[in-house]
Amino acid sequence: MSDFDPIEPVNRVVHGVNGAVDFMVLYPAAMWYRDIAPEPVKTSVASFVRNLNEPLNSLNALLQGDPDQAAASFQRFIMNSTLGFLGFNDVAADFGIPYRREDFGQTLAHYGVGAGPYIVLPLIGPSNLRDSVGLGVDYVANPLTWGAQNSDTAEALYLGSIGVSALHYRYATVNQLNELQKSSIDYYAALRSLYRQQRNTLIRNGAPAPASAVEDESAEFSFDDAVEAASQ
Amino acid sequence: MTKSKIIIPAAAALFGVSAVWSGPVMAATTASPVIAEVAVDQSAANVIQSLADQAMAELTDQTLGDDVRRQKFVALMDRYFEMEVVSRFVLGRYWRSISKEEIDEFSKLLQNYLALNYANQFKAFNGEQFVVGSETEKNKDTFVNSQFVRPDGPPVNIVWRMRLFDNHYKIIDVSIEGLSMGITQRDEFTSVIQQNNDDVSALTSALKAKTGL
Repeated sequence: MSDFDPIEPVNRVVHGVNGAVDFMVLYPAAMWYRDIAPEPVKTSVASFVRNLNEPLNSLNALLQGDPDQAAASFQRFIMNSTLGFLGFNDVAADFGIPYRREDFGQTLAHYGVGAGPYIVLPLIGPSNLRDSVGLGVDYVANPLTWGAQNSDTAEALYLGSIGVSALHYRYATVNQLNELQKSSIDYYAALRSLYRQQRNTLIRNGAPAPASAVEDESAEFSFDDAVEAASQ
Repeated sequence: MTKSKIIIPAAAALFGVSAVWSGPVMAATTASPVIAEVAVDQSAANVIQSLADQAMAELTDQTLGDDVRRQKFVALMDRYFEMEVVSRFVLGRYWRSISKEEIDEFSKLLQNYLALNYANQFKAFNGEQFVVGSETEKNKDTFVNSQFVRPDGPPVNIVWRMRLFDNHYKIIDVSIEGLSMGITQRDEFTSVIQQNNDDVSALTSALKAKTGL
């Protein structure tokens, strides 16, 4: 419907495989982490994972013509990597510089590139054509991946950080996704819808949808249509 | 899954989250402003505050049986939501193919489905606060901003989409951190119907199976 999903049969297969892999590997790890790690550890890990994104956040903010945000992300990276001990403490937030995620998918959207077809990426999960291109560009542009190509130590650290990130992101969504999986009739379609909405919110940097977009979301069948139908 | 960062904040529930307010008793009983020209009997924000207070009073009692809590949840939806509009909206273009009686039946199913998924969220609240914020007008609708403030973790932003029906503000959608429950439910439900050769009864059967109705 409002999701453009021309390769849905393929996506559903990948979704199923991802779910199986998740069930065997990431899900048990996330549950274990949820149950044994104390809160301060989880907070530190969350900060560490966010800090790894800061170079890209800064770069993409710059590409979106927002030098202030680019400077803020860069400042966060420097402060948290040093004072914050390799990013495990978000001291920058205490100084009033909040975190903001900016990736190349959002940069493309900033310049008017549409989402394109929905794609479920192997292992990674929900995406679309624009955001898949974004992931690739971010991967190549990430200073951390350059380091990994030039030294074995850096590569080990890089791979380790990917593992930690995977664990953190899975943990961060584990309760909600459990609920969604239990309550939904079509888990795939619910995820697809939530991915689209979540990306749109990130692209707007959390601002509420403008009136036009509120209507666009439901362009095919709006609340106005529903009200009119109900009053007949 | 490194990047599957679908953040469905808190319980990601049509009032699952907003449910758990421990309400500062913020005088929700607004004696309706006696201004003759404005026949609206309660502002949109006040309606949300009333809903919060009532949900707090009725649903959080730990001694309630699950069935009773679900019934109370359904009663609250009856009172505060414009269920026919919500029902038609979540059916997308398929509402056209079903009759008025079927819409009423579907509406009951939908309420029970939502109660099944979300009423229990009210059981386990502890130290959370629900704060009603400002109103924004957009086209025909009033959006009431609110925050669900948790003791452990950042606050969750909840926006209530409301519209006037016979001078009463009724809820037609709820967004949690930018995720609209109406749109999510519509996308899911229409997908179920589409997967079953556009047969709406496939959805109602699935809902009946879930709710045991």
